Amino acid sequence: MPMLLEIAFRNLLQARRRTLLLGLAIAIVATLFLVLRAVSSSVSERMIESSTTLSSGHVNVGGFFKARKRDAAPMLADGEAIKAAVKEIIPNYQSMIDRHRGWGRVISPAASINAGMHGIVFDQEERFFNSVRLAPEMEYVKGGSEEAFGSFEDLRNKDTVMIFASQAKKLEVKVGDTLTIVTEAAGQSNTVDLKIAAIASDVGFMSNYNIFVPRQTILDLYRLNDKSTGVVMIYLNDPDDSLAVMDKLNEGLKKKGFLIRDHEPQPFFLKFEKVMGEDWLGQKLDLTIWTDEISFVLWITSALDLVSLFVISVLGVIIIGGIMNSMWMSVRERIKEIGTMRAIGASKSYIGFIFVIEAMLLGFFSAAVGIFIGCALVLSMNALKLPITNDGVRLFLMSSVLNVNLHAKDIFSTLILFSGLTGVAALYPALKAARLRPVEALMHGK
Amino acid sequence: MNISRAIVFSIALVSSVKALALSEDETKKLVGVIDEKQRNTGDYASIVVIEQWEKSKVPNAKEPYELKKAFEARTYRRDADDQLIILFSKPKAEAGKGYFRKEKTLLLYEPALGKWERQTERASIAGTGSRRDDFDESRLVEEYTAKWVTDEKLGKYNVHRIKLNAKPGADVAAPILDLWIDDASQNILKREEAALSGKLMRRTLYPAWEKMFSKSKGADVYVPKEMYVYDLLEDEKLTKIRLQNVNLDPLEKNMFTKAWIESQSR
Repeated sequence: MPMLLEIAFRNLLQARRRTLLLGLAIAIVATLFLVLRAVSSSVSERMIESSTTLSSGHVNVGGFFKARKRDAAPMLADGEAIKAAVKEIIPNYQSMIDRHRGWGRVISPAASINAGMHGIVFDQEERFFNSVRLAPEMEYVKGGSEEAFGSFEDLRNKDTVMIFASQAKKLEVKVGDTLTIVTEAAGQSNTVDLKIAAIASDVGFMSNYNIFVPRQTILDLYRLNDKSTGVVMIYLNDPDDSLAVMDKLNEGLKKKGFLIRDHEPQPFFLKFEKVMGEDWLGQKLDLTIWTDEISFVLWITSALDLVSLFVISVLGVIIIGGIMNSMWMSVRERIKEIGTMRAIGASKSYIGFIFVIEAMLLGFFSAAVGIFIGCALVLSMNALKLPITNDGVRLFLMSSVLNVNLHAKDIFSTLILFSGLTGVAALYPALKAARLRPVEALMHGK
Repeated sequence: MNISRAIVFSIALVSSVKALALSEDETKKLVGVIDEKQRNTGDYASIVVIEQWEKSKVPNAKEPYELKKAFEARTYRRDADDQLIILFSKPKAEAGKGYFRKEKTLLLYEPALGKWERQTERASIAGTGSRRDDFDESRLVEEYTAKWVTDEKLGKYNVHRIKLNAKPGADVAAPILDLWIDDASQNILKREEAALSGKLMRRTLYPAWEKMFSKSKGADVYVPKEMYVYDLLEDEKLTKIRLQNVNLDPLEKNMFTKAWIESQSR
């Protein structure tokens, strides 16, 4: 094997120009592949982070309460009973909180936006407040200072609200200003004035659609009693267990006599119409996992993966063509050499291996160079903290700042993939070389 | 006009405007007069027609608003005890629904559910642009501090424009009010309500007031015959409120109870 590697390496050095040109092409494709992989996994990660920080647990026990046939209130009439049942069915969760849900128009003197409201109990939300940070004023005020104003602690006070920097920018408000919230439920509207206690830095594009208020605000706006809640959110040690835990909860809660809607992989607010049309009264639970709650944006990762796959496939075909051509030229240039080696006892497979390993070495080193360039590109992009001003791009990348996460698994997979790909591309020329008869090879050109 | 005449005219104009300005006490007194004119020390009953109008979707429509919903309700007040009942009779789907204000708490009775729900001051009545305070006794002095803004013309009327800010701790629907008060009749002609942020939320016009003699008060009471409530947050909504058959005679003694409202709903 060391001999094989040495021969392959020397061959690459001998055809220096060809090696450099082909290596450069492979390196560029490897860079592109790595960056696309990193962007795709960053978007995925931000989706999970954004979703599980802002609006969803890994598993959620939500539900609808129908007082009348055309009603569909997204609430649980007895939150404590459900929390107790969950504790009994899955004792090994990481943490569990409950929040009230609402939807309203958030109005400032300058503008208005629509947003989902989360009614929180401050002391339950350690995980949330560890994930968000106060936004420096410059994130929402043009020419603002680097100082972050407000305090999350102030959300303990009545009639306060926490919004995100992108919302503050649209509404043209600062910490301490007042916002008016208008809600409508069961044909009745209600309003409340809330003081902005804190403005947090954006957590993905979903920050545009979520605001946080003390639980009592939702109880007052929707005239709910103190026993009720909106959703019980369960965080697991391993988010990959979400589906299994949801199934277990489904069975367990049914056994305890709770009525449960059939699982629909959609966020709760897309189910209103359907629930309003359903012919039942009272309480039904609705179990979801975090991907269900953001299913309306999952197309983004699918689209990104599809585009990446297409681009990489096209470039891969070109690379394979290039490698095949190059190896075939290499075989033709070294026919006599092959004949000599065969004459002194080299087996067919040995000859084949030389060419395959030569291509794989080329792929390995080129991919390594490509990875180096890709890493440098990504790291310098992250260091620059380039703001994304276009809403569409922000939605697509799920971030307001250009920031891409690199993972070791992406780096290794790029290295292995390109080494393997070049090896596969070299198979046909290697097979041709191995099949050459020694006599014909030695006589070649005479 | 020469310069000296212009200066004299300007001084005269400024002086006349200044003469119209109301002092703090005068402003408070004027707001007190509004409360007093509407207050009836005894009982009060009326039929209320509430119409919900929405801006027409037809371009260049003859009528800018289209009628979407109409309700009829009976209102009963016992101002001495700060009690109010709004009991819906039409349409059929809303019949029996009742609002009850007692000891500063507003409750809603839903006959279909047989349940009472607490309401906030800002909650709409039956999903229209109306609110509890549109039907209740005027308590401006008790709930707000008043400041004179200017004297101006509103159409053909000379009006005082007064700004009212809610007193700390007062549970009111609108923390900031602007009132346009007719100088001659001292009735409210226009009222604008703003949120704490200063954002305008509602504009109410009072095109006509009815004067009635109250036996219990021994004086006249002024009742708005009609109110036009414009939703300024959702520009497309207008609520028209008409008060009919206003009666200031004493009501049954025991009617301001949950049980009475429930009995009316059956």
